[in-house]
Amino acid sequence: MAVSAPNAPTETPVPAAPEPALPTRRGVIRRLLLPAALATAAVPAASAVSRATRPDTAAPHLADGPQGTVFEETYRGRRIRGVRPAAGAGAWHVTVDDRPLHLMRRADGTWLTMVDHYRSYATPLDAARAAVDELGPGRHLRETGPHTGGGHGVHA
Amino acid sequence: MAYTRKDVSTLTKAERRRFVGALLEIKRRGEYDEFVRIHIEYYVSDGEDGLRTAHMAPSFLPWHRRFLLDLERALRRVDSSVTVPYWDWTKNRSATAAPWTADLLGGTGRPSDQRVTTGPFAHAEGNWTLTENVTDTEFLTRDLGRRRDPIQLPTRSDLEWALKDPVYDTAPWDSTAGKGFRNKLEGWGSGRGSASWRNHNRVHRWVGGAMLGGASVNDPVFWLVHAFVDLQWSRWQRRHGRPRYLPAEPPGRGSAQHGRIVARHERLPPWDTTPDELEDHSRIYRYA
Repeated sequence: MAVSAPNAPTETPVPAAPEPALPTRRGVIRRLLLPAALATAAVPAASAVSRATRPDTAAPHLADGPQGTVFEETYRGRRIRGVRPAAGAGAWHVTVDDRPLHLMRRADGTWLTMVDHYRSYATPLDAARAAVDELGPGRHLRETGPHTGGGHGVHA
Repeated sequence: MAYTRKDVSTLTKAERRRFVGALLEIKRRGEYDEFVRIHIEYYVSDGEDGLRTAHMAPSFLPWHRRFLLDLERALRRVDSSVTVPYWDWTKNRSATAAPWTADLLGGTGRPSDQRVTTGPFAHAEGNWTLTENVTDTEFLTRDLGRRRDPIQLPTRSDLEWALKDPVYDTAPWDSTAGKGFRNKLEGWGSGRGSASWRNHNRVHRWVGGAMLGGASVNDPVFWLVHAFVDLQWSRWQRRHGRPRYLPAEPPGRGSAQHGRIVARHERLPPWDTTPDELEDHSRIYRYA
């Protein structure tokens, strides 16, 4: 399936694809190492654009990267972003088209989302892509995210 | 006197109509959406802090048994003849067979946005608007069999693999438990691709759309799936001489699972009941 296949490296940034953008996996990964002070906030798009792009093949390793690691890509026409906050906070903040994607962690270290709740993925980025696969061009996350009850923390 | 839960493919026309009618009525009253909300709230993953009761835990089976009983009670307050039917996905494997007919749950969603457009739960009918949801869609969604990368429903032998395990559950009592009936039926595997879903989890994936997410209760097939899961617990008990729910005692303070799972005689939130009290349903209902 799409999310587990290796992604072809891309040399140039790909603009946000017109819908429907299926099936493209030419997403552009921008990997940033942020100062801890910036890490808890969503990263401004302008700062992301100024950084060098990296091949998609780096993506599967992002989840094990240092704190403050960010992924950002356009995948199937959707803008996926992820921020790993500074030490202590623990929780990834992942958005699709700037709307929060609630992420949960399994005991084996893999990740699942509220959209795709009955299997898990190796990294937050893989889980986010799977959520986009499932949303397709016609559905969107809620602006405020779903009701999640007790607010349990996701620990990375 | 105990009532009977039937195979959905055997329901008469009148039984189908009354089951659907009761569902639409509790939706109209606002009762149904509370079930959706509770399921979202109690989905706690095992890589997180906190007590897990509904998923990735030994109490997966009693939690959903009690959840079904609450739904069934709500339906029977509307129409006392109604019980929750079960969907035997090892027999009814087609996307057009029961329960996917226009007089029951309707069929798969349309390709563009997975919107269900047939049957009584189609949004255009005006009776089934989703209010508790993960996405901003107000219509029910499905993608039976997953069009873009088809998968098959779990088979009878997949179920047998779970049923033949004589132990209810084993340490570490979570989604990584390699042995035990509970996780084999719940269906958390390891690895990638389609081998990572089994039994219950795989059925959620096969139905797709709303059933894939945390708000899976929005699709009424949720109840038919969990009635069949519940039936497996009864079959497993009969086959192995009524083995008990495990763990019998709470994990000790030194255990990573201390305070995170429900032992046999502990309270099972959100209810004031225990797994022990939910092991035998024979005085309430039986399966035909």
